[in-house]
This record gives sequence, structure tokens and C-alpha cells, in this order.
Amino acid sequence: MILIDKNTKVMVQGATGKMGSSHLKRMLAYGTKIVAGVTPGKGGTEVHGVPVYDSVKETVEKTGATTSVIFVPPYLALDAGLEALDAGVELICLITEGIPPQDTAKLVAAVKEKGAKLVGPNCPGVITPGQCLIGILPGQIFSAGKVGMISRSGTLTYEIALALTDAGLGQSTCVGVGGDPIKGMGYQELLQMFNDDKDTEVIVLIGEIGGNAEEVAAEFIKNNIKKPVVGFIAGVTAPPGKRMGHAGAIISGGKGTAESKIAAFKENGIHVALTPSEVAQMVAKAVPQLVKA
Amino acid sequence: MDLYEYEAKKIFAEGGITVPPSVRITKPEELAKVHFGFPVTLKVQVLAGGRGKAGGIKFAKDLNEGQELAKTLLKMVVKDSKTESLLVEPKLNIKKELYLAVTLDRERGCAIFIASAEGGIEIETSDTVITMPIPNPYHPYVGRELARKLGFTGNLLVKVADVASKLYKIFEAKDLDLAEVNPLIITEGDEVLALDGKITVNDDALNRQRYFDGWLERHTMDLSERERRSKMIGLNLVELDGNIGILCNGAGLTMATMDMVKKFGGRPGNFLDVGGGSDQEKTLEALEIVNDNPECDVMLLNILGGITACDEVASALVKFIKKYPERKLVVRLRGNNQDVAEKILAESGLKLIPDLEAAVKEAVAQSTSVTKKPVGAKA
Repeated sequence: MILIDKNTKVMVQGATGKMGSSHLKRMLAYGTKIVAGVTPGKGGTEVHGVPVYDSVKETVEKTGATTSVIFVPPYLALDAGLEALDAGVELICLITEGIPPQDTAKLVAAVKEKGAKLVGPNCPGVITPGQCLIGILPGQIFSAGKVGMISRSGTLTYEIALALTDAGLGQSTCVGVGGDPIKGMGYQELLQMFNDDKDTEVIVLIGEIGGNAEEVAAEFIKNNIKKPVVGFIAGVTAPPGKRMGHAGAIISGGKGTAESKIAAFKENGIHVALTPSEVAQMVAKAVPQLVKA
Repeated sequence: MDLYEYEAKKIFAEGGITVPPSVRITKPEELAKVHFGFPVTLKVQVLAGGRGKAGGIKFAKDLNEGQELAKTLLKMVVKDSKTESLLVEPKLNIKKELYLAVTLDRERGCAIFIASAEGGIEIETSDTVITMPIPNPYHPYVGRELARKLGFTGNLLVKVADVASKLYKIFEAKDLDLAEVNPLIITEGDEVLALDGKITVNDDALNRQRYFDGWLERHTMDLSERERRSKMIGLNLVELDGNIGILCNGAGLTMATMDMVKKFGGRPGNFLDVGGGSDQEKTLEALEIVNDNPECDVMLLNILGGITACDEVASALVKFIKKYPERKLVVRLRGNNQDVAEKILAESGLKLIPDLEAAVKEAVAQSTSVTKKPVGAKA
């Protein structure tokens, strides 16, 4: 597993808002070690039995939390992220959608400077099945196992996780990196982590149209990744110049097409699935010993 | 949000970048307002690119010729984008043209300058382009370094650097996705002017950029009626030319569903992501938007309920089926509260298909056997 496990101490920033509190409850129910919520001005209260503090610094001092899941509104996200970094949080999972990209760019620069990690924004979060869930992923769809997943999408990740689970292929960790053009952790960093992780035997990479991250990742995989990789690219039928839901999912100036990404995968020896159930079939074929009876 | 040239130039001027004098007209007779004399350049104001190639820029030697040209130009449509007005400017003596832009770079995760010592070019295909990452916070030496790399010295180096710095300041202050000057010109008198410009404002920043309050309405004129309806309820619809209307939750899953429709021999008619956690009302409106496409023969609904509750979707479906009993509908529902959804839908006679591939194949089969056209609401 990577990034999170059963011992990860998690705080929720924006814990008393509608989205924050409902997902805090889900994460607790899944078994995530949620040690605190943070909402300025609500310190001393509780949310679903979890203590709420006024600041991240205070939370870190009192609970030793190392990871923060952020649910604050878009224009407050940069401030919340910088506050977490300043307090020494090591992993930030930024769920919020609709953050102006110049704010994200500032946060990404600060994350690099601190040597911390950022997942997101506009992402479903991270799950190490059976141990820890941070974000909004539906835990019941995932199962523990040896498949590492990296994805730019939310529900498509669930669809593929469902296909894997149905086929008896559990997951080590699934990371939703988010659908924005400017973001924290990307493919390469996570591919390397999965490559080095003893619990992961095969990696599923779920990309989509827009940008050239998949093309860059394909070459990186060829040169650095020793484990089999199965790829999936959404948006073969997407027209150019149109934003397909995600801020980053756009073919512009003829660049960022699904064809180009699929071709890059194939050229670099990555299996490419064309449907979610094909992903499961290809994983099973690549590592037959994983299929449970 | 893409802006018109005249709006971009107004913003450049407010940020201290020199632009040519101009008059904006919406009727040919308004050309009499020109105060800088003839000859002039007439430029159609459209939101689409490529207006020059499409014949949207003309020169007029006098008022008569100008008014004749204006009549035609005002009716022009460039790539589905209607002419909003004409921008009239004096014809200038140009010594040199440059390209200068600021945008965000996905790979580097920061703002960058894109520049070329050749102006008026297709920047995506040119090999004379310089890119330079912009540190935050900004310092003016970055602009000077850019001007030096473009080959400038002396007074012009200082002037071009100043424009670059001002362009970045505008980009940052107004939350832009793109601030582009193409061309940036140097006149015979060594004046540096923005002759043409393009600005894209980041959509997510519109609620904090009071400057653009009320602008969105007149910048969505090129959208179809259904695209605008979707935008109003916060959904993203993209029209396609097929006959299978698609509605899913989540952008990636919606794209994957479209792709599967094509793979199994069908033609997707649209992209519509109903989002996570949409309630009954919003789901029903989304269903209506897909239904209202006259090209739509079959609707394919694919909901994987993670956070979205399947029963909310089912309740919207029951209402929809009552209103449009003739509509061919293939529904795949799976996940959160699936059993409740099945009970709700049992009465309507609609059969749920839990397997995605099976559902897509069913929709494709129905779409290719259709002879009857659009289905209206039950009276």
C-alpha cells in the first residue's frame, strides 16, 4: 500500500460544513482514524463524536495528525492548504472542485518547497481498502488486494474498481489524482511509489483526454516501472475544443487526444483496455496468480 | 469565458499597455464617428478564432467603402460565432510584429510566458517560440530576460519588457487562463502597441472577479439552447451528432460510456454529466435536456451510485416515464440504494440492467432499429 494505512492519523478541514461532516461520518464508518475536525470559530465543539479545533497547528499539536482531507469552499482552499503545510501536515488530500488554477499553482509551489504531498484538487481521494479511506470514494466498492490504481476520474475509478472486485482482484491502494489541469501528485511519482511497494503487483492507470501527462507517463513506465501496467483512456469520442466535465479534459490545438495517449501506451508496452471490464480481464491475464478462486 | 477583442484591449489599456485608438460600431452609419481619419481597418468581433482567414478583417480607404464593407461584415458568422460588432482602427505603419502571451502550463504547474519574435503566427505550429516559467511572486527582471531572449536591446528591450510585466500583472489580477497579444507591434516611431488580443477568463474565478459581473450572459450567445439550459442548472452538456442520448454521473464515466457506445457500433448524441449527489429535480431536468434533442432515438442512463443515491435517480425516472411513456430508455443503475431503486421502478415496468456492457449493447441495438422520430410529451 502507499500513502495511507490503518495507522494514518487524519484530520478533516471544513469538518462542520455539509459535505465535510457527511463524509467525515462515512470515513469514520469505514474505519479511517479520524482524530479531529478543523473549523475556525468552532473549536471546542464535536462533529460525529470527533473533536473540532480552530486551527491546523492546534490540531497537529494535540492529536499528532499527519494527513488532512480538505472540504472547504473553492476560494478558501489555498488558505486552508497553506495552513496545513505551515503546521507540518505531510499529506494533503484536496477534494474541493472549482478552485481557480492560479490558486492551485501557488499551493503546488508551496507543497514542493515543504517537501509535502498533495493529492488533488477536484479529486475523489485515496483508499487503501480495509484500512483507510480519505475523501469521498464509496468504500463498499473496493476490496483489499494487490492492484494499485491511479486515476484522473471519480466514478470511472469506481466502475473499474467494481469490475476488479467482481473479478476477485482486490486493490492495494487507489489514488484519484483529480481532474484539474494544475494539480499535486501526478502519474510518475505514484507509479514509482507503486513500483517500490511490496503489496502491489500490477498497476492500473486511468487517464483521459487533455494535456500530455499520459504520454510522458508511458515513457516513464517503459524506462522505470518493472511491474505490469494496464491503461485505460476515456474520451475517444470527445470532440476537440470542448471541455468534457473536468477542467482539464479538453483537446486543444489538436493536442491531448485519446488516440495520442493510447498510441503512446501501446508503443511503450502498456496493455490498453477499451472498457472497464476489459481492464479486469487484462489485469487477470497479466498476473494470473492474483485471481482468487 | 472568452472575451471579444475590444474587451481584451480595454483591459490591456487599463493595465497600462498601449493599444491603438478605436471606435466600435454596430451599424454601418456609426462609421461617421471615426475621429482618426481614413484609411481604417474593420475587424469583426467574434468569439471564435480564425476570423482573419475567414475574411473578417478588411481595409477601407474612405467612409463610403467602409460603410459598404460594414454592411456585409456585421452579418458575418465565423465558425458558428455571430459578429457582435465591428472594431474600427487606423491603419498603422508596422516595423515589426511579435507574439506575446501568458498562460498556465499544466506540466510545470505554473504560469509561463510564450513569446515569438514573429507575430501574427499560428503559435501551435511555429518553431520560433520561446517559453519561460514565471516565478510567483513576480519580478520585472523576468520580463527583461524575455525581451533579451527575443533579441531586443536598448530602449526597445525596456519597452517590450514593460509590456510583458504588465501583461502578467493583468493575467494574475484578473484570474485569466490566457492573456495573449498577437501581434504586439513596433511602429516606425518605436512605439509598442497591442494590435490584437485575446483573453480567456477562468470560469471558476468568475464569482470572485467582480469586474466581470454580468458578463457571462453575453458571452454564451454561441451556445445552443440546450447547452445554455444545462449551464443554468450547473451541468455540462456537449452536443454530438449521434442518436443515443447519454446521461451519466461523473465526467470520466460519461466519456467512457460514450466510448463504449461507439465501440459497440452506436453513435453517441451528447455528453451530459449529471454530477455527484444530484437530487430528483436536477436529474429530471437533465433527463428532459437529453430527451429534447430532436436527433435522439434512444436514451442511455448510466448511474454508478457511489455517493449518488440510486433511489433519487429512480424517483426522477418514474416521473420522466409518466411524462414520456413512448421514449425508448435503457437504464443501468448500480450501487448505493440499488435495491430501493429497483422497488421504486418495479411499477413502471422498466427493466434495470446492472451490467454496463450489457446496457450499452442494448441501447445500441435499440438505436439502430429505430424508424420513428422524436417523442413528445404526453398531453
